[in-house]
Amino acid sequence: MTLALALLLALFQAPKPGTYELPPIAQVQERELVDASGARVGFPGLAPGQVAVVAFIYRGCHEATGCPASLALLRELDRRVAADPARAARVRLACVSFDPKSDTPARMAELRDLMAPQSDWRFLVPDGRKALANVLRDFGQDVVELEGGAKRHVMKVYLVDDSLRVRNVYAAGFLDADLVLADIDTLAPPH
Amino acid sequence: MTPGRHALGLLGIFCAAMLAHAARADETCLSPFMPKITGQEDYVYVYTLGVAGLGDGNDKLVTLGANPNRPGYGKVVSQVSMPGRHEAHHGDFTDDRRFLWLGGLDTSEIFVFDVATNPGKPKLAKRISNFVAKSGGVVGPHTFYALPGRMLITGLSNAKDGGGKTGMVEYSNAGEFIRTIWMPTGAEYGYDARVKPDLNRMLTSSFTGKKNYMRPLGDLMGDAEAMKKFGNTMVVWDFHARKPLQTLAVPGAPLEIRFALDPRHYYAFTSSALTGRLWGIFRKDDGSFEAVDLAPIGDPAKPPLPVDISLSSDDKFLFVDSFVDGTVRVFDVSDPRKPVVVHEKKIGAQVNMVSQSWDGKRVYFSSSLLSNWDKSGADDEQFVKAFSWDGKTLEPLFAVDFKAEKLGRPHIMRFGQEGFWAGTSSPTVGEGE
Repeated sequence: MTLALALLLALFQAPKPGTYELPPIAQVQERELVDASGARVGFPGLAPGQVAVVAFIYRGCHEATGCPASLALLRELDRRVAADPARAARVRLACVSFDPKSDTPARMAELRDLMAPQSDWRFLVPDGRKALANVLRDFGQDVVELEGGAKRHVMKVYLVDDSLRVRNVYAAGFLDADLVLADIDTLAPPH
Repeated sequence: MTPGRHALGLLGIFCAAMLAHAARADETCLSPFMPKITGQEDYVYVYTLGVAGLGDGNDKLVTLGANPNRPGYGKVVSQVSMPGRHEAHHGDFTDDRRFLWLGGLDTSEIFVFDVATNPGKPKLAKRISNFVAKSGGVVGPHTFYALPGRMLITGLSNAKDGGGKTGMVEYSNAGEFIRTIWMPTGAEYGYDARVKPDLNRMLTSSFTGKKNYMRPLGDLMGDAEAMKKFGNTMVVWDFHARKPLQTLAVPGAPLEIRFALDPRHYYAFTSSALTGRLWGIFRKDDGSFEAVDLAPIGDPAKPPLPVDISLSSDDKFLFVDSFVDGTVRVFDVSDPRKPVVVHEKKIGAQVNMVSQSWDGKRVYFSSSLLSNWDKSGADDEQFVKAFSWDGKTLEPLFAVDFKAEKLGRPHIMRFGQEGFWAGTSSPTVGEGE
């Protein structure tokens, strides 16, 4: 760790959960996606009192500060959520592929095995371009397909409540697991 | 370092092949949440105030060619008129840089342009006409600042008395109102807002209300009571919680704010318009901030009304435009507490905004401040001028005369690039249910 990064980590402190508001930013819809076993499942598919952390990724992304970074954030959240059973019951993690052509359920299962989730972490793919367009439009997630198959997009991670409202968006300008956990506990406080 | 922990910070905004021309920080002052053009810009988008009797008289978004290797260099390549005159002023892109939001200080109308589909020919995509009602009375949308998934808009005034008490308003990228945050007691005026995500801090500055900024400058300057109604404060906020933490005394209307870009630099600059001073806002060891009066801008006996500032991407040079003398002064701010003027150049009879490219090699200036504050007669020059910068001097590249072109009064400038969003397809457009 560089001195600069160490200083940054020392300077940032996530706010105390419940001391601030997260007004709704957008309304998404319940959609049907395909999970890593090939089964059709509801997305986000939340039970009352649950929140979801959603990242759009694709396996062909090789930019270290792009999809791998959002996957790294989800992986850290997965471990920290799993370590707290009360919180784990309130949180679902989901990564949704931009690339239904290449990211088959079997490929998403490989990714799941790599990540070895310890909490409720789902690996999902839309069933074709139309299904992808619907879910991207819901979230306002941009993407452009380039020659060669790369997907140009601004990397974002979304926090969704049980009324299917986006309550925060995290971007590459600042990804921080402490902050996401504070937001989770603000929306779905521990009893 | 913990995986996924912040400090990706100023690096990766885009996934996929975008880092070739989009990487760290800003093209001079854009939101840290937005991808940047780090190479040659192809276009300069110029938000332009309409002038009665000049062309169609309407406000416009004018697109200038800025790439010497493309057709239309130094020329108007497209223009889109907005119906009416709204005191066209500031604007900025959404976090994905697909849309350019522009605000009118008089009518509080907001125009949203699609700049992704055809970067050389922006198209009006949405008009927001109920900003005042939705926000609960905020008037004069000024700074547009991209946050993830939404737009933060600072106000200048209010609908109740047209004074300087105001707030900040958030909209979703889709154009839906989210919330209003009123400025705190004792620091009610607003102007600019800038965020340092790694510190979870936001800074805001303060100007004046609609009754003052829509008034002819000569009348206003002669009204001692009215001249008391300018902001003298900056506010330090808990950015994530949107809660004010600290009010700093910065007399004389502190305007544009520029945070240093190096993640190890915990300071920002601003200029106070009425007192003609350069200020530094420094983080102290205890985490609080202090405002430090750093230097005069021009002759302290005749403050030249500094207006816009632009910090280079290496935090070395600060360009400071002053309206009255039409001059830019370049400060070396390598030592941020001891700025030194290293270059000075008269740009025109009046000058307002300054925008520099990410590589610092090109600097653009525009002339108009406010419709009722611009100079008159021969001094009412209206232009965009491009210069090269080699670290020592500014040399002319091209100039566009906005009067001769029958366009109006040019104000804020933002950059566009052909191919920034080019791809074989975009699943978000024209598909789905």
